Amino acid sequence: MKIALILLAAALPALSQQTFDFKSLDKLGARAKETTNISLEGDTLKMATSFLGGDQDSSFVKNLKAVHVRSFEFDKEGQYDAKDLAPVRAYIKSLNWAKIVDVKEQSESTEIYLQAPQNNKPGGLAVVSAEATEVTVIFISGIGSLSDLAKLQGNLGVPSFTLDHGGKKAEDSKKD
Amino acid sequence: MSFEDDLRAALRREPAPENFAAEILRRSHKQTPRRRLFLLPLAAVLATAALIPPALQYRDHHRAIEARDQLAMALTITQSELEHTRQKIRANVRHRQ
Repeated sequence: MKIALILLAAALPALSQQTFDFKSLDKLGARAKETTNISLEGDTLKMATSFLGGDQDSSFVKNLKAVHVRSFEFDKEGQYDAKDLAPVRAYIKSLNWAKIVDVKEQSESTEIYLQAPQNNKPGGLAVVSAEATEVTVIFISGIGSLSDLAKLQGNLGVPSFTLDHGGKKAEDSKKD
Repeated sequence: MSFEDDLRAALRREPAPENFAAEILRRSHKQTPRRRLFLLPLAAVLATAALIPPALQYRDHHRAIEARDQLAMALTITQSELEHTRQKIRANVRHRQ
């Protein structure tokens, strides 16, 4: 009985951190002119990382556990409901990640959350950006080290991946 | 009678029965479709089985390339978003100064 209680107590924090269905954000883009939906986890993510060339960069991606990106661009203002972002904000809050950036302007807001890697536990990064004509939600878990984070934070830029087999370069993959 | 006579008698030429040729033809016609019926599906199964591993390999390869491109795009968007936020913060700081 004691053992069962101990196990239950140990499992409670994990149970409280429910997973989030990022597909639920897809409705945000119902009226978007440009949509980017990316969800990579498990075997698919492993496959993706195994196909990335470039030694130093592959060390960055090898620890990744999940990568979710939802990005919607609209023709004009008021084409999405900002309330639809509440569930993802609540989820990130439940993870107790540190909110390192919170920029609020007239019709725009950007929040960046960070879980720094510590004690061999990989960290994560989340971005929720709501602008008048653009919404972006990014959730990356499994960032292995702070130097990996630095690669994402702009100082070194996104790794310039060497694509092995006839794909396009990472730099070409997003139109600005 | 000698042994040679016995042997000669045993091996003497005899005419074939009247319907011998017709019977041979009848049996051969009867067996061919049966063999075909058995061999054709077997050949089809073997051919299909031979195609499965390369098809699966191609599918996995295609999926991996697609996933890799998606990951590269996700990281590019992330970097772009972080850079955009950094510029916003800089602009805000400058504005306050």
